[in-house]
Amino acid sequence: MKKEEFYRISGMENGHRIESRILEERIQKAVADGYRYIEVEAFGQHGIGGRLWRAGEEKVYVRIIGSPGQRVGSMGFPNTRIEIMGPASDDTGWLNAGAEIIVHGHATNGTANAMAQGKIYIAGSIGARGMTMTKHNPRFAPPELWVLGGAGDYFAEFMAGGVAVICGYQPQNPENVLGYRPCVGMVGGKIFFRGPHKGYSHADVKLEPLTDADWDWLTENLQVFLAAIGRTELFGTLADRTRWQLLVARSPQEKRTQAKRSMRDFNQEVWVRELGRGGLLGDLTYLDLSPIPVITTGDLRRFVPVWENRRYLAPCEASCPTGIPVQERWRLIREGRVDEAVDLVLAYTPFPATVCGYLCPNLCMQGCTRQLAKLVPPDIKRLGKASLKARLPELPPLSGRRVAIVGGGPAGISAAWQLRQRGHEAVIYDMQERLGGKLSAVIPKSRIPEEVLNAELERVEKVIPRVYLQQRLSRADLEQLKADYDYVVVAVGAQKPRLLPVEGKERIIPAADFLRESKQDRARVGKRVVVIGAGNVGCDVAAEAHRMGAEDITLIHYRRPPAFGEEKKAAEAAGAKFLWPHSVRAVTEKGVELTTGEVLPADTVIMATGHEPELDFLPESVSTRGGFITVNEFYQTTDPQLFAVGDAVKLGFLTDAIGAGRKAAQAIDALLRGRQPQETVRPKIDYSRIKLAYFDPRVSGFSDLERCAAECASCGTCRDCGICVSVCPQAAISRKENESGGFEMVVDPNRCIGCGFCAGACPCGIWNLVENEPLE
Amino acid sequence: MFADGTITPSTLSVKDLPWQVHWDRENCSFCGRCTAVCPVHAIELGVHRKRLLHAPLLGETGGNTSSSNVYQVYYGIRQRTDPAYACVGCAMCNLVCPNGSIIPYRSDEIDKLRFHINRGGQPRRRGGRRNDPAPGILDRIKFIRISMLTDPALDAGRHEFELRTLLGRVLPPEESLRLYREQGWFPPVREIYPLIIGAMSFGALSPTMWEGLQMGVAYLNEELGMPVRICTGEGGCPPRLLRSRFLKYVILQIASGYFGWDEIIHAIPEMKEDPCAIEIKYGQGAKPGDGGLLMWYKVNKLIAAIRGVPPGVSLPSPPTHQTKYSIEEAVAKMIQSMYMAWGFRVPVYPKISGTSTALAVLNNLTRNPYAAGLAIDGEDGGTGAAYNVSLNHMGHPIASNIRDCYLNLVKVGKQNEIPLFAAGGVGKHGNLAANAAALIMLGASGVQIGKYIMQAAAGCIGSESDRCNICNIGLCPKGITSQDPRLYRRLDPEKVAERVVDVFLSFDTELRKIVAPLGRSTSLPIGMSDALGIDDYYAAERLQIKYVI
Repeated sequence: MKKEEFYRISGMENGHRIESRILEERIQKAVADGYRYIEVEAFGQHGIGGRLWRAGEEKVYVRIIGSPGQRVGSMGFPNTRIEIMGPASDDTGWLNAGAEIIVHGHATNGTANAMAQGKIYIAGSIGARGMTMTKHNPRFAPPELWVLGGAGDYFAEFMAGGVAVICGYQPQNPENVLGYRPCVGMVGGKIFFRGPHKGYSHADVKLEPLTDADWDWLTENLQVFLAAIGRTELFGTLADRTRWQLLVARSPQEKRTQAKRSMRDFNQEVWVRELGRGGLLGDLTYLDLSPIPVITTGDLRRFVPVWENRRYLAPCEASCPTGIPVQERWRLIREGRVDEAVDLVLAYTPFPATVCGYLCPNLCMQGCTRQLAKLVPPDIKRLGKASLKARLPELPPLSGRRVAIVGGGPAGISAAWQLRQRGHEAVIYDMQERLGGKLSAVIPKSRIPEEVLNAELERVEKVIPRVYLQQRLSRADLEQLKADYDYVVVAVGAQKPRLLPVEGKERIIPAADFLRESKQDRARVGKRVVVIGAGNVGCDVAAEAHRMGAEDITLIHYRRPPAFGEEKKAAEAAGAKFLWPHSVRAVTEKGVELTTGEVLPADTVIMATGHEPELDFLPESVSTRGGFITVNEFYQTTDPQLFAVGDAVKLGFLTDAIGAGRKAAQAIDALLRGRQPQETVRPKIDYSRIKLAYFDPRVSGFSDLERCAAECASCGTCRDCGICVSVCPQAAISRKENESGGFEMVVDPNRCIGCGFCAGACPCGIWNLVENEPLE
Repeated sequence: MFADGTITPSTLSVKDLPWQVHWDRENCSFCGRCTAVCPVHAIELGVHRKRLLHAPLLGETGGNTSSSNVYQVYYGIRQRTDPAYACVGCAMCNLVCPNGSIIPYRSDEIDKLRFHINRGGQPRRRGGRRNDPAPGILDRIKFIRISMLTDPALDAGRHEFELRTLLGRVLPPEESLRLYREQGWFPPVREIYPLIIGAMSFGALSPTMWEGLQMGVAYLNEELGMPVRICTGEGGCPPRLLRSRFLKYVILQIASGYFGWDEIIHAIPEMKEDPCAIEIKYGQGAKPGDGGLLMWYKVNKLIAAIRGVPPGVSLPSPPTHQTKYSIEEAVAKMIQSMYMAWGFRVPVYPKISGTSTALAVLNNLTRNPYAAGLAIDGEDGGTGAAYNVSLNHMGHPIASNIRDCYLNLVKVGKQNEIPLFAAGGVGKHGNLAANAAALIMLGASGVQIGKYIMQAAAGCIGSESDRCNICNIGLCPKGITSQDPRLYRRLDPEKVAERVVDVFLSFDTELRKIVAPLGRSTSLPIGMSDALGIDDYYAAERLQIKYVI
């Protein structure tokens, strides 16, 4: 048998269809035997014509008649040409690796599925999922699928390479040559087609115009195709360039740009068109709702800084019952205006040296912000003593209104002092021989030098020329005062000793009596002195008793002694012993008998358990409570014409009495001017606003007033340090001088972002970050 | 605190707080952005003093000590420790920092703040979520039926899917035939996408967030053909939306406060479209048994207009509806009324919080031919404001609740008639499609999401670690839940809408990936519990799904 003649293999043997395996063995054997022309009569056998590598480089031609089964030419080799003389079943050319396969009829589903090389020519149409999963291996020419008719559904799914040509000649569906939903997941290759289609996967492929090169390739290979299927007469019909289109796979980069309407366009073209201008809420608000950055300026800041200069009292000022602007005085000194700082104080107290400089526990220093960080507060005692030289302000002319002051102690003098400074005449009545109350009568000289007190009392007398001493007033006298004066201020203090009801109390000397005597060096004490009551008055008694010759001084108290400060130190220096808790049962000639039965031997027993006011001269219209006069916040008693201040209202420090006198005078002044008295005190600044880290914690004292002033934290008042200007990250803060010679720090809202750095850095707590005004 | 400052029981150190703000002195440029952006003022510029000590080597100076002591002042970003200003961990500071110099870290131990956020006797209230970082049951459910050859295996990428569910009462065939013959009333049924944006009111959400969500939903419907629906929550509905064709994408909610309903009623004659459905809210998963209160300072002009109230008044939504005295009455009366409003053309269904009494409600609904479904909101639901105790400790997990309800419907043969909708923590760990699919296969006809869409579409930074959670005070740093234009204008509705679209498209792909191996491409595998497995024996028993290890 000549090798050029067809070697015929039938799929039927003895009237029985042979298995695909047997047919495959026989074809392979024929090739191995050297046959290169093989005709197979197929009876549905699988995979005919593939894998004929045994022929090597030599061409093998397989002609199939009858009905081939699925996967004709699968894994076909480049040496193989397969011609199916009728229609083909599924998966023709599956995994084709180079064979040329010609089908002279239709081919069903899966034609060219996973083909990588070779050519498949279909003389009819193909079924579903043709040209799917095809590849183009760069080592070889791309695979080609030529279809004379049309493609079935899901054509070219996941096609990754190769060329498909759909000629659209008498397609099975004349309205759609590409079938339903072609090219889904297609990533490579081209599809030439001719005829109508019903869409394709726009996400994966795009239409492109045929280039001349494309057209040349197409017409050249079209002739090959038509020749292979024996339909060369159709060339003229098909070779009309205007009817061909080309689909190419999008590159991965192109896939991202899917032709979806942008949301911006949707908003403008659909959303707003339906809802109206401004969208969903355009009819309800005129607010601009457009997007803004996270960090904003101007009105869009959530928080804004406010320069709250002098809006709050410094703690020293707020702590001072007299109301002296302590911090303001230090500021003046910082500015080199020492005289002003000194003179200023007389507007608040007649006793800046006596009280601030010597006798006051200096609540201003106790309250000083610096104390919170254990920094030494500026020394107000030093400034107080310097105030002895303070110059009186010029007094205003008298208004003609008159106020009687009953009691010439610190409270009464303060009230009179203030009233006179406000232009009203104040007249003082006092029981004692000397003006000054407790200051001149009771407080030991050791604690207040005579010359200081006298100098200040002289200054007082210049302001208050009318003082009536040694006047013990009765109820009728007071009524007369009410008739004669516009207002009466009761400042009688607490003179009556509160004596314990113990056996032998007649042996006890009240502390006030003792101190009054000792002040004039007239007091007589034994060697052994027991002081009942170990408060500060008790301490004064102890110190004075020591001065008057006592050697063994004991203070007893029923609980821990409340004494503190200078007084306590003085008592201790006098060698006084503090015994507690002890209660007294009786006072005998031997001494003080305690409730424990123990007897403390004493030659002199002095009781310092407090005093209470003597108020029997008051009219009934003035109500009292617990022995003290009741007043409102302006020190007005239940008799509106009568005010009461000092220890007669509430026991307190000298500064409390002076402060009460001042407030009462302010209220009376307001009433005299026909106004309602008002509390005009600024609130105290929050300590946490002051930054003490700016100060040296090792400073343990001050050499002079200037050093004190420099270390003052200037709470609540701008010290003009300029730190905020430097700290502001936006350079939004600037210093602006105003017409009155002062200055203010101003914020440029168009630069400020509301970070609060100014508030964070400000040493004095001036800057505050507050919520911006609500926008809606 | 000052050096000699006193301490109170509630004096805390930074260490005691849930979040510690780490600040890098080296790289800070002191630009002020962090302190400007911090929603709760947890950080501020601090002034510090530094001490530089110098001492010579004594051997070299021969005992002459030229030692020195110098103080320097420097600045820093300081974290405040007052409980009122405790860092909430939102990390907006980090977001705006140009140099990456600041970031909050979660404390390495349980914070002490929690013992002190009840000052004034007010227990803690917050927004957000349950704060349970453990993976929930939904996250542990696996889809174990992967049909490669046994079912028609579908390709999620290649095959066509149309995942839809039904909202409305589906009648049994014999009943339908009878009504057809008698020309009776058919309950309205909507074919909708199974992922619904759940109830979040205008008020709870900012205007920009609300508009963004609505715009995204409209886009999904009109540009992409996905019938996604969104529920208004209780707070009314902007008049323009009521009168637009977009209303058909909206489920209107009515709740115990009835806010905005007179405006809705007034709009009925002018409506171009019926709303998708009416949801009657009886409960909320995040705070079961509790109501809401929109504080007066949040009731600005806009909210007031939409809710139909004057501005500046507090708006209470009581825990219960005021005029319902029994379950039968509550269900029948409300459903009837709401049906009447739109001529019986709009489905009406109640929403309850997850509860052990859900079956009682469901049984009642099965007997009510008007009930269009039942939505159940589980314990992991979110809220704009609730008591901590309600959020953390009240409510029922959604998985077993929905499962019990579904199996009960199966028992009475009505599982295809009354749809169940599940909500509460769907996607709380990011597994939106998996959680949704699990719930659907447990028996839900669809799921509702809230927090997930806030996180995905607007960048909500809440987490299960008690991060941020300040929706209740209106200071949302992303502008999602704030009514302050200075905050909510940070949010661009268009961008939110874009993200809504992203979320639904990606969800759709993921859902396909799950249902494709089950051979489902159009009908949802509702109740297809043979596809579910879990590696917890008791959970498997309880849910009647497979125990797999």
